[in-house]
Amino acid sequence: MERNALRARNGIKLVAGVDRPGVGLTPKDVVWERGRTQLWHYRSDKVRYSPPLLIVFSLVSRSYILDLTPGNSFVEQLLDAGFDVYLVDWGEPDERDAQNRLEDYVDDYVPAAVERVRELSGADEVNLFGYCFGGDLSLLYAAHHPDAPLRSLTVLATPVDFTKMGPMADVFRGGLEVDDVVDEDGNVPPRVVVQGFKTLTPTAEVTRYVTLWERLWNDEYVSAYQAMTGWSDDHIPFPGAAARETVQMLVRDNAMVTDRLTVGGDPVHLSDIRLPFLTVRAERDHIVPPEATAPLIDLVGSEDKHELRLDAGHMGLVVGRTAARTTVPEIIGFLRKRSDEVGED
Amino acid sequence: MTSGTPAGPPLWRQAFDAAEKRVTPHAESLVRTPGFATGVALVRRVQNLAKDTARGVSARAWHLVNLPAGTDVARLRAQVGALDREVRRLTVQLENERRRPRPADVPREEHDADGAQSPGGPRPRPARRGAQRPPRA
Repeated sequence: MERNALRARNGIKLVAGVDRPGVGLTPKDVVWERGRTQLWHYRSDKVRYSPPLLIVFSLVSRSYILDLTPGNSFVEQLLDAGFDVYLVDWGEPDERDAQNRLEDYVDDYVPAAVERVRELSGADEVNLFGYCFGGDLSLLYAAHHPDAPLRSLTVLATPVDFTKMGPMADVFRGGLEVDDVVDEDGNVPPRVVVQGFKTLTPTAEVTRYVTLWERLWNDEYVSAYQAMTGWSDDHIPFPGAAARETVQMLVRDNAMVTDRLTVGGDPVHLSDIRLPFLTVRAERDHIVPPEATAPLIDLVGSEDKHELRLDAGHMGLVVGRTAARTTVPEIIGFLRKRSDEVGED
Repeated sequence: MTSGTPAGPPLWRQAFDAAEKRVTPHAESLVRTPGFATGVALVRRVQNLAKDTARGVSARAWHLVNLPAGTDVARLRAQVGALDREVRRLTVQLENERRRPRPADVPREEHDADGAQSPGGPRPRPARRGAQRPPRA
């Protein structure tokens, strides 16, 4: 009886959308912005390492997954470990971003963010960190700008072999064009992105609701459910021109693997990346399957390169216990070795 | 009613899990077939055809009374968007230019080679410090 009462109470809260857990709460300042893009600097009085860490986020989802809730935040752990953390957030693209191409991000925004971080921190270099598709942007940036002021590059759940990306990529090889899915504002709408992700695990939606019903009495579960499903259903439009380029170059030509990448008309080779490099892949990732990330370690030209394989899902890399116990400490360990203690000569 | 062992999932959940275990592999292989990809493309095209036809009819109706239709507004939005992008790119490139070393600090030929660019032209490179670091010992 008691559980049924709790179920009823939590069910009403869920349906009414009240009492949602706060997300992305770590204090931060906007230190640069252009269009919808912002560079955030997380406040910290515990900075012990230099150079600063610049996170480049994905183009299709919300960046608060990296700072989900207090106590369950990737950013918070990085700050506690003594890093000076910045994040490029792409905001919510609208019709003004429909013409954005990959080169806008790779040649304009990321370099501008890197320069702003250097300017603010006084550091000569930055440690660059790319999450999911943000990892692809980081790879393209590092490869197209081999003389960029980077100390190291870390990418998390970053696909390179798009033939292994499953149904979401298959539909574009099966005749679907980006123009078939763009909205009136010229962008791929979030609902298409969400549907695409849901197709990857067609029964997961039903299982999700069944599990929710079973554990609806549990406040802790409901709170985590609200935060996680809130994020996974809350995507942003994918700028149309960048989506066309992604589909043609990365999906159809599989250019990361076949070495046919171009940015702004210039050929780009991942083998030109010679930085200390870390790639993290999740073995149970349904969104970016491990097979799609596997070739990356062999494609970059770095001598100091490492691959970390974790028994986790896509979100489990940055959220939850696996992240706190394994992913984040490993990344912190890698970055510490490539950083200087502040005050050290 | 009391038991020393923790209770397992309820019966209904066990039944659901058994069914899900059987259905999921079939559903996942179905969405990975070429037929599914073609089907999705076909359905989307038919939807777009229906939408475009309806839009065409309504656009003609609005144009008859000399008023702009939704498609005209969409075209204008796209043009404003393209212009906004060009301005944004120029602003970012100008910012990056300003942050570069002054002419006296760089070799003459490099400075000359990196003049102002149009957004459609080759991208200027960011301010550079040196080659990517070799791995640390």
